[in-house]
Amino acid sequence: MLGQLIINGLVSGLLLALPALALTLVFGILKFPNFAVGATLTFGGYAAWVMNHQVGAPLFVAAAVAATIAAGLAIVCDRLIFERLRDAGSIALLVASLGLSLVLENICRFVFGNSTRNFDVEIARPIRWNGLRINHEQIVTAVTVILCVIILQLLLSASPLGRAMRATADNPALAAVRGIERNTVARITWALSGVLLALSGVLAGLDRAVDPLLGWSYQLPVFAAAILGGLGSPIGAVFGALVIGLAEELSTLVLPTNYRQIVSFAIILLLLLMRTRGLFGAKAVRK
Amino acid sequence: MRGVTLDQPPETILAVIGPNGSGKSSFVKTLAGLLRSREGSIEVTGEAVTSLSPAKRVMAGLAYVPQEENVFRNLTIRENLKLATEFLRGRSGVGPAQEAQVLSLFPEIGRRPKTLAGDLSGGQRQMLAFACALLSNPEVLLLDEPTAGLSPKFVSETMEAVARVREAGVAVLLVEQNVAAALRIADEVMVLVAGRKSLQARASDISNADLADLFFAKMQ
Repeated sequence: MLGQLIINGLVSGLLLALPALALTLVFGILKFPNFAVGATLTFGGYAAWVMNHQVGAPLFVAAAVAATIAAGLAIVCDRLIFERLRDAGSIALLVASLGLSLVLENICRFVFGNSTRNFDVEIARPIRWNGLRINHEQIVTAVTVILCVIILQLLLSASPLGRAMRATADNPALAAVRGIERNTVARITWALSGVLLALSGVLAGLDRAVDPLLGWSYQLPVFAAAILGGLGSPIGAVFGALVIGLAEELSTLVLPTNYRQIVSFAIILLLLLMRTRGLFGAKAVRK
Repeated sequence: MRGVTLDQPPETILAVIGPNGSGKSSFVKTLAGLLRSREGSIEVTGEAVTSLSPAKRVMAGLAYVPQEENVFRNLTIRENLKLATEFLRGRSGVGPAQEAQVLSLFPEIGRRPKTLAGDLSGGQRQMLAFACALLSNPEVLLLDEPTAGLSPKFVSETMEAVARVREAGVAVLLVEQNVAAALRIADEVMVLVAGRKSLQARASDISNADLADLFFAKMQ
C-alpha cells in the first residue's frame, strides 16, 4: 500500500515537474508569475488531441506538433501582450497572464465544448511487480519528464543559449550591454515554456482526459511546487514537484482523497510564513 | 542632460567628473543605450548608434562597465568571459587572440575559471568586468565609477589598468568621483554640473582652483 502510494506520488510529482519548470523559467527571466501555465497546458492537450484523434497521428507525433504549436502561441502572446508590458512591473504582467489564461481556456471551451476527450492509444496491461502496479501511462510520463529535465538542464548549464538565459535572469541590464538581446532571450524562454506546457498537457491528458479545466486542476500544485523549490530555480522546481506529488499522495492515508489539494495550500502557507524564497531560491536583494 | 557635445579621438582617456547628481552616470548610460535620449545623436567611428539597442551598440564598438553589478554573480569567471564574446559573431577582432591579450592584462582572472563571480572581491570583480568589456574589442570603453568602494591599493591598480587599455588604442570615457585619481591618467576632462557641460579642457590645464570653483558654484 505504502509502496504503491510512493510510486503514484513520484509519478504525480513528475507530472507537475514540467509545468513547474515552465513557470520557474519565465519567472527567472521575466520576473513575474505566469498564471497562464494551466491554460497553456490545456491548449497543448487539445492541440495534441486534434492531431491524435482527428488527424490520426501517433501520440508522440501529436505531442511534437502540439509542442511546436504551443511554442509558437507563446511567442505570439509575448509579442502581442508581454513585450509591451515588459517595463510596466510584475503586477501588470501577472494580471495580463491571468487575462490570457481566461481567454485561452474559453477558446478551448468554445471550440471543443465541455466534454472530456481521450487520446487514441492502445490500452496496455499494467506491469505487476512485488504487489506494485505500474501502468503504461506512468512509465511514459516518467521517461518523458526525466528526458525533458535532463535536456533542459544541459541546455541551461552547457549551451550559449542557456548561459544567455542565466545571465539575463541574473542581471538583464548587464546582459544587454554584453550583446545579449533581451527580447530574443525572452521569446526563446516563452517558446521553451510553451513546449514544456504542451508536453505536460499530453501527459495530463493521458493520466486523466483532456477537458477545459485540465490545466486549472494543476495550477495550484504547480505553483506550490515552484514556490517550494524557490521561484527561478529549475532544480528547485523539479524537487518541489516531487515533494508535492508525494505529499499529496501520502496525505490520502489520513485525509479523504478529495482533500488532497489542501496539501498544496498548506505548503504555500507554511513557506510564506517561514521561508519565502523556498528551498533553492536566491535571497531577494532590495536595491 | 542638455547641450552636451563631445568628440573623443582613439587612444585617449576622457574623464567625466562633477558633483553628485550632475548627470554623469545618466550620460554614460545614455551612450550605452540603457537610457533613451529624447534628441541628439551618438556615433561610433562614424556609425550612428542612437537608435540601436544596447546589444547592437556593443557590435558597433561600444563597451560599457557599470558602476555596480558589473559581473554575472551567479555565473563562473569562465562563463562570464565566454558570454562576453558569444553573441558578438561578426565583430572584427573578437576571438582567441584578443582573449589571450586581454587575459595577459588581468592574469589573476584567468587563474580561477571555476570561481563564481559573486565570490570575488570588489577589485577582482572590477577586473573581470574590464576583461569582459575588452573582449568585445571595443573602439570606445565606457567606465562608470570603476573605483567606487575600492581600497586605495585597488584604486591605483584599476587606474593602471585603464591606462593600459588606452595604450591598446581604445578611447576610454571614464566617469569618476575620485577626481585626483582620474586627473592623473586622463588626457582630457569634462566637468558636468546639473546636466550641462561646464568645462572641457586638457587635464594638464585644469587646476584644483578651477575645479573647486565649478563644484562650489553648483552648491550655491
